[in-house]
Parts: sequence; structure tokens; C-alpha cells
Amino acid sequence: MSAAPANMWRNAARNRLVLAGAGMLLFALGLAMFAPLLAPEDPRRALLATTYTIYAAPDGQHWLGTDDAGRDVLSNLIFGARVSLTVGFFASFISVAIGGSIGMAAGYLGGATDRALMRFTDVVLVIPDLPLAIVLVALTKPSLFNIILVIGLVGWTGTARLVRAQTLAVKERKFVHRARAVGASDLRLITRHIFPMVLPLLVVNTVLVTSLAILEESALSFLGLSDPTNVSWGQMLNYAFSRGATSSGAWWALLAPGAGIVWVVLGCTLLGYGLEQILNPRVKSHHLMRASIPRISAVQSASPAEAEAHALLEVRGLSVDFVAQQGTVHAVQGVSFSLRPGEIMGLVGESGCGKTTLILSLLRLLPAAGRITAGQVLYHGRNLLALPEAQLAAVRWKELAIVFQGAMNALNPLLPVGRQIAEAVERHEPSATAAAVAQRVGALLEQVGIPAARGRQFAHQYSGGMRQRAMIAMALACNPKVIIADEPTTALDVIIQAQILELLNALRKELGLAVIFVTHDLGVVAEICDTVLVMYGGVAAEYAPVNAVFNEPQHPYTHALLAAFPDFSRRHKALVSIPGQPPRLHALPPGCRFAPRCSSAQALCHAHQPHLLRVGADHYASCHLLQPMLPAGSPLPQPA
Amino acid sequence: MQSGRLLLRKAWSALLTIGFVLVLNFFLFRVLPGDPARAGIKDPRMTRAAQIAIHQRFGLDKPVLNCLASLNPLRRGPCLVNPLQTQLFIYINNLLHGELGISYHNKIPVGELVRARLWNTAVLVSAGQALAIVLGIAGGVLAAWQAHTRIDYAALITSLVAWSMPTFWLGLILLFWGSRYAGLPIGGQHTPGLAAAGTVDQLRDAVRHLVLPTLTQTIIYLAEYLLIMRSTMLDVLAEDYILTAKAKGLSTFQVLKDHALRNAALPIITIVALNLGFTVAGAVQIEAVFSWPGLGQAIYESVARRDYPVLQGAFLLLAISVIVANLLADLLYTWLDPRVQAPA
Amino acid sequence: MNTALLEVRALHKHFAAGPAGWFKPQPVVRALDGVSLQLQRGEVLALVGESGCGKSTLALTIIGLEAPTRGTILFNGEPMQRSNKSQLQALRRQMQMIFQDPYESLNPLMRVGEIVEEPLLVHGSEPAPTARHARVLRALEDAGLKPASEFAQRLPHELSGGQRQRVVIASALVLQPALLLADEPVSMLDVSIRAEILSLLAALRAEHGIAVLFITHDLSSAAALADRVAVMYLGRIVELGPAQQVLHNPQHPYTRALQAAVPVANPRQRHSRVVLQGETPNPAQIPGGCRFHPRCPLAEAQCKANDPQLQVVDAGHSAACLLLAPK
Repeated sequence: MSAAPANMWRNAARNRLVLAGAGMLLFALGLAMFAPLLAPEDPRRALLATTYTIYAAPDGQHWLGTDDAGRDVLSNLIFGARVSLTVGFFASFISVAIGGSIGMAAGYLGGATDRALMRFTDVVLVIPDLPLAIVLVALTKPSLFNIILVIGLVGWTGTARLVRAQTLAVKERKFVHRARAVGASDLRLITRHIFPMVLPLLVVNTVLVTSLAILEESALSFLGLSDPTNVSWGQMLNYAFSRGATSSGAWWALLAPGAGIVWVVLGCTLLGYGLEQILNPRVKSHHLMRASIPRISAVQSASPAEAEAHALLEVRGLSVDFVAQQGTVHAVQGVSFSLRPGEIMGLVGESGCGKTTLILSLLRLLPAAGRITAGQVLYHGRNLLALPEAQLAAVRWKELAIVFQGAMNALNPLLPVGRQIAEAVERHEPSATAAAVAQRVGALLEQVGIPAARGRQFAHQYSGGMRQRAMIAMALACNPKVIIADEPTTALDVIIQAQILELLNALRKELGLAVIFVTHDLGVVAEICDTVLVMYGGVAAEYAPVNAVFNEPQHPYTHALLAAFPDFSRRHKALVSIPGQPPRLHALPPGCRFAPRCSSAQALCHAHQPHLLRVGADHYASCHLLQPMLPAGSPLPQPA
Repeated sequence: MQSGRLLLRKAWSALLTIGFVLVLNFFLFRVLPGDPARAGIKDPRMTRAAQIAIHQRFGLDKPVLNCLASLNPLRRGPCLVNPLQTQLFIYINNLLHGELGISYHNKIPVGELVRARLWNTAVLVSAGQALAIVLGIAGGVLAAWQAHTRIDYAALITSLVAWSMPTFWLGLILLFWGSRYAGLPIGGQHTPGLAAAGTVDQLRDAVRHLVLPTLTQTIIYLAEYLLIMRSTMLDVLAEDYILTAKAKGLSTFQVLKDHALRNAALPIITIVALNLGFTVAGAVQIEAVFSWPGLGQAIYESVARRDYPVLQGAFLLLAISVIVANLLADLLYTWLDPRVQAPA
Repeated sequence: MNTALLEVRALHKHFAAGPAGWFKPQPVVRALDGVSLQLQRGEVLALVGESGCGKSTLALTIIGLEAPTRGTILFNGEPMQRSNKSQLQALRRQMQMIFQDPYESLNPLMRVGEIVEEPLLVHGSEPAPTARHARVLRALEDAGLKPASEFAQRLPHELSGGQRQRVVIASALVLQPALLLADEPVSMLDVSIRAEILSLLAALRAEHGIAVLFITHDLSSAAALADRVAVMYLGRIVELGPAQQVLHNPQHPYTRALQAAVPVANPRQRHSRVVLQGETPNPAQIPGGCRFHPRCPLAEAQCKANDPQLQVVDAGHSAACLLLAPK
């Protein structure tokens, strides 16, 4: 469900599909309302037909030609709009009223009422609409009223199911629980909470039902079951078909009424599509889209000079932007760090600090709107950002692997877990036999503490901790040198978290892995990390060995974070929070990112962004109030 | 066994629905106005005695349902009629013996009539649906993968326009163009008089008669399947496991084949199966335009003649086919989705 | 003697866990398997445990959103009867609940002022609109949202996570309850914001004397805020006592394991610790005897056979373990 349906009507006015659809419908509505004024002839007037006037081709007098009785097709077309629109609107109103009531009753009341109503809905659903409508209309009197009633009574089942599903979903939302906990009555819950949330969906559905009703009416009229006193478009087609338009070559008599139907139905469809887009805004991009703009706009050299000795992975001055409709967002700016074999670096920061963006950009896994604007990612001295896609794909997982956050979603629910691990092995070792792959998968699972036989099972059959272990096993599949773990224990209970941390530590010692451990939990950082990179608002606030960060934090944010962290070991520690909230990336302050919340901020801080300064051996921080320890020329260059 | 129970439960539910449909079906044609005897019999000079005789022949003189006021307001007296003698019971009894009744109009068993017509409709529908499914799914995948590019917009617009067309109108336009400019037949299933020709000629003729109706079917349903597949695929491609697959170094093609398609197929199956159930009924329009002797046409004709047994039989068949299609789709879904089979 | 504000006696709550098999009875999840505790006026009691231990179920049962299978709940000494509608309404005025997810707890279509006003409307506590409005503003201010009149006009999506949680707290405060049930109120908030909300809860207790049942899986937050701590495992309370005692001198092996597993924010205090193995327990299959025995490093033969009850080990401190010497 979208985050802000409150904005729906405002957004609707700007959506192209909605405007197009609404425009088409309004045009048709205008035609219908002002038909007597607009139509050249009154089709209801009796006319004497001659052989010259029957099926006359379009000319100056009859723009769309004449039909089988010599009447002007254009006039019939304009008047026909009245019937189609009337039937469409009123029939859909009936359908939606019935379906909406049944759906909401079933969804809200649940239990036996729900079952009974749904059984009834199913029974009506399986009887096909058009034949039923044919029977009902033919056996009663084909008047406009009857037709509207029949179409309305036949077409409510889709709405009922939709409304029921939506009511059930809304009923389970926390704010409804809260209202119930307060003691709100059923009536209040329905009118104040549930119905307003269901309404937008109902509006979209009404538009769809209208289009279906119009199509149904046209089919019924085509089959000769319409009200003869009100000629609709379907009726025009019926006359044309049964009175030789095909053999006479009178294409206008066939094209025009159909075009009218298509116009109105298309208008409804576009309107419905547009409204649905606003209501359930899909994420604009997906993971397989090609970016329309080049992903890396900075000039990249393949192997820049002075790669740091011993470093496995070196990131220099990495900057990432996101290009959105509202403007460009600087998600990461000028971040630098290096990683040695066997080192665990903690990447610490709160929501919106850019840590996920940073790690995704290391392997160029950013979404389509992401752009790397500066910096290099050196792996064994090779710049990963300069590699063509094919070569990078070979590096992915083989050298650097990611353990994603939220293992339930990061694993394909329809494939066995073992299969997904095997996939990685097969990709990077295509010559391995099936038996060898299976053995490797089993060994990997055992290594992380999962019985090998469970590789046949699916992700939903694993517990949370086990899923995380499976993700780790998968990451190890190709013996990478670097593992990037994105908040691997955040969703886990503390005892399971301890198990996972122990596992990671053991693996690091056994395999000599380097790990980037993303987290917001300072306790975990203190527990297993060797170095710490603290990020805030997309920039590196502090970067130092773990002891230095905890015992001599230099950046005011690090200070404040440590003070705010409830520390279990210190008995009477008062909690000090940081006033304000983390900056929103599309509205970053002009100077130091932390200045608005910093208790020591000066005028300089609000005006200029500080650079990353070296303030101790291996200790870097970006704050105007600090003294650099050594002159520039330190291995970690200043960001451009 | 979990899935065994699930299967039984679903089958039972389907049977229950069939039961309700049966009863609803029965009452539908009894409640509607119009005396079948008078409407179905052609002779306008029918005497009262003859009417009564016909009523007796078709069992129309028996009460519909025990003690439910049989729509004759003049009826009085206690409802002590043997329930086994009511029309409802007779009808259900017959059904269980596989007898659908006898057509008022043709005097042949409904089962025979409906079976023949059903086959014709199935032939008409199959090719069109098969093509529509394959092309629609392929098109939807392509459009989703190339989302927001020109290919996508083109596919989207054409599908939306095609979806907005009434089926019969598309048939009319194709018929007009086909018969006037492409030399295709104007209707029917085969050219009369070719019954004596060789098999190859007959086959060619049959195919020529199928081209336009199939094309109509394909275009309309292709549009629907494309739109649905596109939106399902867009959702799937935004999921986290797609990113994981990409991070593993798999190529775009591999990710589409091994992860995206499999996951998107699941919801599509239900929709396709539901559609298949309704397609036979939807063929009414196409059969009318192309004069195809199928079930849809049978319904249309029987309405005019008040031939209730045929209508009842046809409706029941249609409803049962939808229920069965749903059940199969349900079972297929259960078989394919591991989350249903073995819950956490 | 002072009657406790809230008392729970031998509370059981069972859920159906699927359909009955051909020959097997319907599986049952014993989410609450005999819970008893007391909460005094103005006290903060932390309820600690892992996922699946039943702490959220306990809160939902106390507030009346779930019906207990067995056992009683007493408020101010009076038993809660769900059948008595007027009594239930009166009780609901006295206790309010805060949920975990601030992003889901507010109706996205309602303005902040309307959300906070709703409890007043439901209970008809303040028929006059101006007086109602004044109470709404006061509640917003008590929750730390200033200027209150400006916040009252905003929609939820315009607020940050911490601000939304404050709105939830304000709507809980507006009826001036005696008890607040807070179900993981800070676990979805950033670290720098958590301290604010926890301080707010502490201030509410200090200024308004509101008792808080604070449910969390984070021992550190519990340590920061609570007077007493109750540790839950598979539907039972296994340890109960003053916060300092339970958290720093735990008696039950499970509490010890929990305490050992909490990472300490001090790199100098790294040491290898006994990490409890095994998975989080499945509440549908509660082991016989002591429910912790399959994972307990100290388990003995008697633990498989006997189900321990809470026994006093120190002043106000009790634990349910067969291996503890009773005092």
C-alpha cells in the first residue's frame, strides 16, 4: 500500500495517463450531453431512404457516410455516446455498490459470514457473464433499465474479491489495532479507518468496471438484445453487420461505432492505469534495467599509481549521486578506506548515511538512477570501476561477495537453498562436475553449521538465524577474499547474533577473509571489528582502529553516538541523545553535515564542508575543530 | 500428508460450488418468464389439450419444489406432494445419471448437442489461446525488462488499445478486410460442397476458415496476457533476490531465465487458467461474427427458442469447466509453490 | 496493603497452529503458559525475551485485543471481564499501548491532531471541542512535540520515525492513563533517537506517575530504563527481580546466556564467552520438564522430568530453575 495516499488527488492531476484518460472521457461526455446541438441530424427522426442514400460514402454532407437506412453515421455516433456512457456509469455503480458491500462485510466480519459470502461470490463468479446477461436480457424485456440492471447484477464479483482482500489487509495494520485497543467501535473503525483506505482502490476498480460494462453493453447490443428506442454503438454495428455493410464495402459503418467504443473504453483504461500508478507507486526501476545515463561519469584509469602496499581493497574518494526527478542527491561523498587481508572493518552509521549505497557501488550494483561521480575502487591494484561489465561479472562473488540484509528477501523463495549456492559455484567454475558442485555445497553448509541435507529445503523452512548462515555459506561459495556483510545480525535475537558473530570470527581466522561489517550497533563493532569507519550524511566522519574510536573519538558525532548508545556494562550510564534527526539526503546542509546537531558547531562549520584530516596514526576524522597530525601526503589522499 | 489434505479440501470445495451452481442453474430457468411449451413449440394453433400433453411429456406439470409457492398464485391446498416428484429432484437425479435432458426444439438429447458444439468451440479457441499465451508472456517479459524505453511504451500502448476493443468489433474489422482483400472466407466452419474433396483440400479449407477467428482471439488475449505479465515481471525484477543473483556474477539472461521467469510464472498460471475457463463463454461474440457453429451460438439460438434444457445444459457445462479449470490451476499452483506444500 | 496496579495470575493463551490431522489432535501453540506478575503504580517493569517467547502476546492479552484461554487479569484489584463492556471501556481509559513500528502505527490519512484526538472521541471524555483541542495540544507537548499547534496539522509521512513514535505516545497520554504498555517502542528507531524516546518514557514516569510495562529484546535498553526486569522464555517467566540484580547477577541459566551474548561497547572487554548454541525455540513444540533443558549447559537428569516454578533466590528476586538453592 502506498505511503501517502493523502497526496493522491494532487498527484493525479499531474499524471499523464490520468490526464489523457480523463480528457478522453470528458470529450465523450461532452458529446453525449450536447448531442442535440452537435449532431447534424436527429437520428430519431423518421427518414425516407432511397438507394442513393443507403451506405453512401463519407462526403461533405455526411462526414462519416450513411448507414443502411440512409441516416447520418456521425449523428448516430454522437447520440450513441449517450447510451454507452449511461449504461457504463449506472451499471458500474450497481456492481461496485453490491461488490463493495459484500466484500467489506466479508473482510471485516470474517468467520462464517466471510465463508458464506465468498461461497456465494464464487458461485456467481463461475457462471460466465455474457451468456448469463444474454439469457437475462432476452427473457425479460430489453429495455435500457433492464440492461443496466442485468449488467450491474452480473459483474460485481471482481469488486467483491478485491474489496475483501483490501479490507483484510487494512484490518491487520497496526493503526487499526491501536484504534481497537483504545476501544473504538466497529462503526468507527470502518468509517474512519478502513473505508478511507479502501476507497482509492475502489475508485480505480470502478473505472475498470465501467469499461467492462460498456464492452458488455456493446456485445449485448451487437447480438440484438438492446433497447431499440435508444440506438447504441453496438446496435449500429448490429445493423451494419446484419444488413450487408461488409458486402457493400461500407467500412465507415463498421469503423465509426467501434472507434467510439474503443475511445471510451481506452479512456477508462488509461484513467484506471494512471490512478493505479499513483496508488501503488511501483519502484521506478528494477535490478536489470540498463541505465540510460552512463553509470560512471568520472574518468577512470585502469591502475592508478601508488596503490597502497598490503592493501587488498582500497577505496579512494568515492562519490555516488542519485539522479531523481526532484534533483540530484549526493548519497556518498569522498569516502576513502582500505582493507587488509584478515581485517574486519566496521561500517557504522544510521539510516540515510549512505552505507548501503557505498557497498553496492563497490561492485557496481547500484540501481539505474545511481551514478558514481568520482573516486576509485582498487582491488589488488586494479580499478574495479574501470572494468568492462563482462570482466566485472567475473570478479563479482569470486573476489568480493555480499551477505545481504534481510535474508528472507535476498533468497529466491522458489528455489532450494542448496541450488542457489550451487549456482554461484557453477558460474565461476564452469568446468566443475555436478558431483563436485554438490559436494562443495554440502561442505559449505556444514561449515556454517547447517546440516548438508537441508540444502534441499527452501528459504521459508529455515529459521532466521539459519537463513543468515545460509547467506554466509553462499557468500563463501567461490572462496572470495572480501566479504561485505550488510547488517547481517540486525534482525536477529541477541543469542543468535552472538552465534553468527562467533562464526564470522572463526571463518576470518580460518580463511584469512577480510570483512566489511555494516551495522548500527556499536556493541557489535567493539566485539569483532579491527577498524571502524563512521559515516554520517554520506561522508566519512571518522576512520580509525577500533580502540581509538571507542577510547579517543575525535569527531563530535562519534562522541555523541557513543554517549547515546545504551551500554550494558556500565551500570549507571545516563543516556544522552543527539537532538534533531539524521539529515535527509535530498536536503543536505551546506557545510558540515553534522553541524545542525553538533554542540560545538562554529560559523565555519555551517558554511564549509570539512575534509578528512589525519589526526593520529591511522586515525582520520573530518571536523574543522581538529588539528591535523601530519602534513598532507598521507597514504589516504584528500577527496577532490 | 499436508498436500493430500489440501487437495481433498479443494476438491470438496469445488464439488460444493458445483452443487450450488446446479441448484442456481435450475431455478434460473424456472423463474424467468415465458412458458417453454408455448415458446418452444412452433405450432400457433396449439390446443389447450395439446399444451397439457406437452407439459406432461417434459414433466413441466410437476411442482418445481415442494412447498415453495410454485409461481402459480391460484394454487391452493397443502404441499403434501412427494418430494421425489418435484422437478428439482428429477433434474438432479437425471444429472447423476448423466442425462442432461432433451432439447425442446430438436428433440435430441442435450448431451449430444452440447458435446458436438463444445468441440467446435474448443477448436476455435485453442489455437488462439495458445498463440496468445506464448506471445503475450514473451512480450510481457520483454516489455518489463526494457521498462520505460521505447519498446516498452510501444508494447504498452498497443496492448492497451487492443484490450479496449470489443471482441466482436475486432472480428468485424478483420472479417471486412480479410474477405474483401485477402480472399478469406466470410464465415462458417468449412465451405459447403468440399465434403467430397480430398483430405488435404479439406484441411486447407478448415485452416482458411480458422485464420480470422483465431487472429481475433489472439490479438485480444495477447494484449491481456502481455499487460499482466509485464506488471508481474516488474514486481519480480525489483525483488532483492534478483540483486543477489546479479551480485553473484550471473548474466542478465541467466537471471531472467533462472530467477525472474520462474517466480513470475506463478501468478500468471492462475490467471491463464481462470481465463481458459471463461474463454469458451467469451467465444459467443466470435461465433456470432464468423457464424461458427459452437456452444456460444447454441446458447444464443436457444435463448430465442426458449429451449431451456439446452440452456441449462450449456450453462452447467460452462460453469463446471470454469470450476475445473480453477481447481487445476489451484493444484498446479500448490505443486509449483514450495511455500504452500511445506509451510515453515 | 497496596494493591498492585496490574496483576496477572496464571495467564494462559493458546493459539491454534493449523488444522487437525486425521489422527492427531489440533496442534496448539502455548504462547502464554502460566504467566504471573505484578506491576505497581509508577513502576517500570521490563519484559525481556527473544522472539517467540510470548511477550507481545502478553501485552495484547492485557490490553484486551486477545482473549485469555485461562487465568485472570486484575487492574487495581478488580478482575477484567471482557464481557462487561462498560468496565472494559473504563479500563481502556486507564491503560494504553504503544507498538513497535512507528511507520505503521499512524493512519496515513489522518492528521496528527486527529490521531491524538481519537481516544477522546471514542470515550466521550471531553464533549466540548475547545477543551478537547487543549488536551490534544497538551498531550503533544508532553510527548515533546513543540510547537504543538504546528505538529497537529501535519500528516504522518511528513514526520521522522522518532517524531511518529512521539505522536503515538501523545495519543496514549491524552486519556491520562495509569499504565503504558510499550511493545518494543524503540527497536525500529536510529540509535541516536532511541535515547530520546527512552528518556521521554522515564520523564513520563517521573512527572505523571505512569507505570510502564516495557517489552524489549534489548537488554541494554532495559538496563537503562527499568526498575524491575522479568525474563520470559517460551511462555513463562523464568526470572524476575530488580533490574540491577537480574541483569548483572542473573540466576537462571537462560538469563546468564542472554547477558553473556550482549555485545559490550568496549573493545578492551573482548573475551570469548560461552555462547548458547541451538535455535530460538519453537513455541509450538515446548519441551517437557524444564522448557529450557535442551539448550541449558547445566541441564541434569531431573531437568528433563520436572517443570520448575518461580522460587525466591534473594530479596524480591526469583528464578525458575531446579538447580538453585531456595532462600
